Amino acid sequence: MESSLGDSLVRLLGANSVLPVVDGNVDGRTPQVVVRPRDRVQISEFLSWASSEKVSVLPRGGGTRMGLGNVPRSADVVLDLSRLDRVVDYQPADMTATVEAGVTLASLQERLAPGGEFVPLESALPGRSTVGGTLSVGAGGPLAQAYGLPREWLIGISVLSPLGVATKAGGKVVKNVTGYDLNKLYTGSLGTLGVIVEASFKLLPIDPESGALLVSFPSLLDSVLAGRKLVRSPAGPLGYHGMTFGVFRRLQDSIQAASQGLGLGDTDAALSLAFYSGRAKATGRRMGEAAALLLSEGATAVQRVEGPAAQGLLRWIGDVPSEISPRSVLVMRLSVQPQSAARASVECGEVTLSGGKPDQIADPGFGAIRLFWPTPTDVPSAGGFVPGVRAAGLAQQQPILDAINRTQQVAKKYGGSAVVEHCPLHVKGQIDVWGDAPDSMAVMRRLKDKFDPGGMLNPGRFLGGI
Amino acid sequence: MTTKQFLTGLQRIVGEENVVFHPDDLLVFEYDGSVDRGLPQAVVFPASTDEVSRVIALAHRAGVPVVGRGTGTGLSGGAITPPGGIQVAFPRMNHILEVDTENRIAFVEPGVINLDLDTHVRKMGLRYAPDPSSQRACSLGGNIAENAGGPHCLAYGTTTNHVLGMEVVLEDGSVINLGSLARETVGYDLRGVFTGSEGTFGIATRIAVRLLPVPESVRTFLGIFPDVESACTAVSAVIEHGIVPAALEMIDALTIQAVQNVSDAGYPDDAGAVLLIELEGLQDEVDEIGGEVEAALWETGATQVRTAEAADEREQLWVGRKGALGALGSIAPNYFLVDGVVPRTKLAQVLGQVAEVSRKYNIPIANVFHAGDGNLHPCLLFDERQPGAIQKIVEAGTEVLQVCVDAGGTLTGEHGVGLEKKEQMPLVFSDDDMAAMLLVRQAFAPDNSLNPGKIFPDGKSHTPRAHPFAPGMTV
Repeated sequence: MESSLGDSLVRLLGANSVLPVVDGNVDGRTPQVVVRPRDRVQISEFLSWASSEKVSVLPRGGGTRMGLGNVPRSADVVLDLSRLDRVVDYQPADMTATVEAGVTLASLQERLAPGGEFVPLESALPGRSTVGGTLSVGAGGPLAQAYGLPREWLIGISVLSPLGVATKAGGKVVKNVTGYDLNKLYTGSLGTLGVIVEASFKLLPIDPESGALLVSFPSLLDSVLAGRKLVRSPAGPLGYHGMTFGVFRRLQDSIQAASQGLGLGDTDAALSLAFYSGRAKATGRRMGEAAALLLSEGATAVQRVEGPAAQGLLRWIGDVPSEISPRSVLVMRLSVQPQSAARASVECGEVTLSGGKPDQIADPGFGAIRLFWPTPTDVPSAGGFVPGVRAAGLAQQQPILDAINRTQQVAKKYGGSAVVEHCPLHVKGQIDVWGDAPDSMAVMRRLKDKFDPGGMLNPGRFLGGI
Repeated sequence: MTTKQFLTGLQRIVGEENVVFHPDDLLVFEYDGSVDRGLPQAVVFPASTDEVSRVIALAHRAGVPVVGRGTGTGLSGGAITPPGGIQVAFPRMNHILEVDTENRIAFVEPGVINLDLDTHVRKMGLRYAPDPSSQRACSLGGNIAENAGGPHCLAYGTTTNHVLGMEVVLEDGSVINLGSLARETVGYDLRGVFTGSEGTFGIATRIAVRLLPVPESVRTFLGIFPDVESACTAVSAVIEHGIVPAALEMIDALTIQAVQNVSDAGYPDDAGAVLLIELEGLQDEVDEIGGEVEAALWETGATQVRTAEAADEREQLWVGRKGALGALGSIAPNYFLVDGVVPRTKLAQVLGQVAEVSRKYNIPIANVFHAGDGNLHPCLLFDERQPGAIQKIVEAGTEVLQVCVDAGGTLTGEHGVGLEKKEQMPLVFSDDDMAAMLLVRQAFAPDNSLNPGKIFPDGKSHTPRAHPFAPGMTV
């Protein structure tokens, strides 16, 4: 079977577009082939073939989030979209850009920078994460409080249906109500409805000044409560993140130098980062007022960094979850009503695993909290590169399930949801990582059935086993 | 089920006094702000989600199409009832249920008027950002159906960027919740695709919208330009400075003339274009950026620049823009408004082509538009009493849309496709594109009994009628 699938695909697409499976393991399932088509025509030919052969397909951008979602029901072929790497159209004066799905976020921003603009899409590892992947995940980043989710910036999309039929929605203009807004539907659908091949975005001007505050607090709760005050004040930042010791001890090099005066030796202490940008005078005023406000709200020290150092901090806070996750036994992301972030953070902090409390990064402006329960030993886990030995993990199964359940209850209590981003594979196989199905589940299932009647795209990975 | 049984059933659900079915009473529900009409067999005024659910379930069993109606300010025929259909309207579901100032969320019923919500929350230092120019009359439920915009959506986005969650009734009467009070949701973004679905997926009965803080400082600039071209250059110059104003609006010479006919807005007789720019933010930002905006206006050929910060003085600068459509009545008895959008850099070129259409058909066209986001509103002026006038207007309007699409734009920026533009959809979308859209409708409303006959081409011509200059019919 393995060779015949590969042989068929080589005949269909040519040897250059079919790759051996190297690191293609997805939640313990190893696909038989990775295809890397050279253009949309080839992707379309491939999808048409795959649907007639009833082959399951897992689209992949940069491959940075392949561990997200439920364990796939099947994973025959990984569809690598990295050759779709053209910036199709960029008009600085229109403040819009149209790009292919395989363009990485970093290369897109580099391309836009000479025009004085950027696209407010955020993802960890922007040098690898692609536009298509970021849209499919649909999540917010460190500045989500200011910029919201990718859905806010997507103005047009081209998608290949599971049969390989090219469709589009939206357009290249920044305001558009012509036809249904399928941009919203595809964003965050984890590749379960179609394969995104091109997207158009509205852009923002790059602010001339940027800066960040590094702030120490006696505890995470102090940090989150003060952050809540700050984000509601006129000195509100673009993004505010309070974090525990296990997170900020990873701050390195230049950033560490900047944080030396903060007195962060205590493991109960918390560090907050607040990010700013804008015109020089207003940004200076905001940061000055913010420092004063945070000090009056219990901060023990505040340090200010500017320009490149602030940019470095922003990249760090964006990437650090992907650094901590492989060393964690369980990672969850909560989205709750912002005002409830402090209470949710405290209650989740009491959910222990093997006696250990979770490390946290809490964003009280957007209402997002990431929780990392550290690995006591090297427990094999899904999403990592090494499946490893499972025996050590099996003993822990029930406590992990309990921790997941308790965290999801907290999220629900505060009007939100909690997604399991990372956990041992044998646990993952027993849960829906997205949590309970909402009362709109029937509509979601009908959507999947209409768009992908053969269930060939990312089968089983999405909410409710979609 | 006979018609009588059906009507009696409706009366049982909402009470006799809340079902209208006498032809005289129905006339007012025959039209909206568009050029189309269609008489419903009844209009129902429910008071609760439960009543909406039971009404829709009854209609579904009876095979009767249902149209949700906001306040009828839409300009694309979205609220026009298909033959045999009923309307569900929301004058009784017009309550602001709760304002959560901590989380900056308002919970409202669909009949709440846009401006009433904004006025209410401003007392708490908050605002509801989407501000369609009909905001004195239009409702939040209608805003969701159309994904309404407004002058300030340049900086803040349209309705879809401000709706967090909704309770909606589907065509079989079932009630589901879309979105959530948290900013991230799991599963498909049903709230996102529902917004702007023109009432074809369901009817929103409870809506949670995001509120924003009122900015520390607001400054409005009014620039007078000799012609539209130089005003468009000013728009580009502002954008090139890395400035995204809160609003960026323009009116052309014919509109200026109409405004001056009605009351003196202080525009010179020879003005070719008026550009309005609004900045919001910290005082320091408004000062610094304001200086750049003012310089850009002078550098690009403004003959006059006026600024204001106090609310009443800013209102004075806006008066000409806000009253523009009403003032067009001083030039011709009727207008037909086209809602095309083009990339911002194509504005001047497209306006030139619109002027050619005007000459070709000998129809005066006044332009009132959202220059910042490229959303044109060419108003084709005519007199419905002249034979063949409406047919000529529809042809010229289609040509204007073709010009927009050829420039890389689209059919509608904020008013919706409705009945009016459904036959033009193929200018923008292929059959496959539309087939994908229809899959979503099949998932929400398999029987297509909610607002059927809208958005997608079906070859069935609609019944245009002339536009009355009714109050509230503004953009």
